[in-house]
Amino acid sequence: MKDREIVVENLVKSYPGKVKVTAVDGVNFRVDEGKIFGFLGPNGAGKSTTIKILTTLALPTSGRALVGGFDVVNQATEVRRVAGVALQEIGIDPLMKSMELLVLQGRLFGASKSDATARAKELLELVQLSNAVNRQASTYSGGMRRRLDLAMALVHQPKILFLDEPTTGLDPISRRDVWGEVRRLNRELGITIFLTTQYLEEADELADTVAIIVAGQIAAEGSPTKLKAAMGEESINLIFDTPELAEKGRSTLEHTGDRLQLDRETVRLYLSKAAGSIPTVVTQLQNAGLAPISLTLTQPTLDDVFLQVTGQRLVATEVAQPKSTRSNRRVEVNK
Amino acid sequence: MNTKTLDIAASRPVAKKPLSLPVHIYLLVVRSLTSLLRTPEALLPPIAISIFFLVIYQSTLGKAAGFIPGIGGSYLGFILPLSIVSGSLSGSGIAAQNLVRDIERGYFDKLLLTPVHRAALLLAPILAGAVILGIQAAIVVAVGLLLGLQPATGFLGLLAVVGLGVLLGIGFAGFTVSAALGSGSAAATQGASFLFFPLTFLAPTFVPLALLSGWLEVAAKLNPITYVLEAMRALLNKGWDGNAISTSILACLALAVAMYALAVFALSVRTRRN
Repeated sequence: MKDREIVVENLVKSYPGKVKVTAVDGVNFRVDEGKIFGFLGPNGAGKSTTIKILTTLALPTSGRALVGGFDVVNQATEVRRVAGVALQEIGIDPLMKSMELLVLQGRLFGASKSDATARAKELLELVQLSNAVNRQASTYSGGMRRRLDLAMALVHQPKILFLDEPTTGLDPISRRDVWGEVRRLNRELGITIFLTTQYLEEADELADTVAIIVAGQIAAEGSPTKLKAAMGEESINLIFDTPELAEKGRSTLEHTGDRLQLDRETVRLYLSKAAGSIPTVVTQLQNAGLAPISLTLTQPTLDDVFLQVTGQRLVATEVAQPKSTRSNRRVEVNK
Repeated sequence: MNTKTLDIAASRPVAKKPLSLPVHIYLLVVRSLTSLLRTPEALLPPIAISIFFLVIYQSTLGKAAGFIPGIGGSYLGFILPLSIVSGSLSGSGIAAQNLVRDIERGYFDKLLLTPVHRAALLLAPILAGAVILGIQAAIVVAVGLLLGLQPATGFLGLLAVVGLGVLLGIGFAGFTVSAALGSGSAAATQGASFLFFPLTFLAPTFVPLALLSGWLEVAAKLNPITYVLEAMRALLNKGWDGNAISTSILACLALAVAMYALAVFALSVRTRRN
């Protein structure tokens, strides 16, 4: 079914000026019906620009994008009908009550007053805000506002949902709430979801397919499992009583595995078949008279994949800023 | 699969045909007013200031008015229009502040993602502002009556005075709304509303037009506020003056059309998809 697909071909967006900035530089991907697509990358990599083009808020410089079978340039109205959008900045008037906002949104999409009201009630139930209907949105917590924003995006029953950094700035519990909601929308309603995020954990948790965008180009794409298998490394982590013992452990295991890392009391041993190597490692340590206080196995994470693809580690940091500024987070890329 | 939630997806098919422009305007005006009335602390100062100046002018200049030729009637009837015009100025700022808040908070983008008529996005804040300043003008008129105002044209004349104040305010609002759309910044919008402030004084503000001369007379004759003041004063102090009323309506319409064109341009810049 075309109406739940996204197809992007050679998408380019550049801003003219003294120094020409190319925010999106020849991006290709497709999102199949009913899938969750995770678009991952640091700030400024081109995530938000891509989502703005796909949701008709910006025009591409060249290339083509079809959302639900409609061209984002020539069929913007059709795209708006088929797609729901929750942008990074929560788009609500905090002086309004959730019911008022949802009914207005429904009416602007052409629903009658009674239909819009009924739909608003259903959505408030869906996002678990039924008991906060008669409060102004300004009294809501961050997580509640996010859920209201999600409900706003769902008013017109979109077949494709765009979520731009849906959990940025949320506490871990609210984050899990949103994840649950996203999964539910996808599984129960079959909504195709395009999600940008700067949290690797989030992409890993939710997405069927992940694309990593760096400097406007897609650096890697695939299912999280595949990407991790192809690029990540498993490791055995050993913690000793003292850094001295850890150093002894390190020299004992020097020739086991592909790579070794010593960090105070911890020895990290990278090797391709970590689980199968545990007996060997334990025997070697026993022979040397060493007993680690902890032995754990680490599966590769998307973080490792990201590191391998970009040579950088993605660190999302929350920065407290005055309310008036539009963005309240920053991404630092550490070499 | 959870059938209850599936029902939610299927139960309310959203109409395919978008509503008409007047309905969109109505919906958005109601929204703006709801939002505005929830911050009465922003609405009260302009009214308070209008009333303050009315009382001050009346008490300090009222006695001296006998020495100014051409006042024609009571000084209160002469100076009350000034109070209403300055109310129109501050009222237009309220409309734009509401819009700029929507832009800053991303709600404007949310509206842009619906099939809403683009003209409704402009007209709604302007008209919501007009409603607010109509209420303001009515309050100022009521205070005038308490101070002993005896309008030459009765109740209908008072309605016409309020109407002219609203019409003038719509023109101002077109300008401040343009500033809001163009800048997307609350501070710049605030600044823009002050730009009109001097216009209040490039007019027969404290004395009749006949007493102005030189560059001030030229400026006053180019200023739409002049004709609104003249018409209001005629209504309050003289009687029905068809000529003054039609000239002032034309002046307001000219201002409104020009400012609306500016606002359309500002909206197209704001919504240009680049």
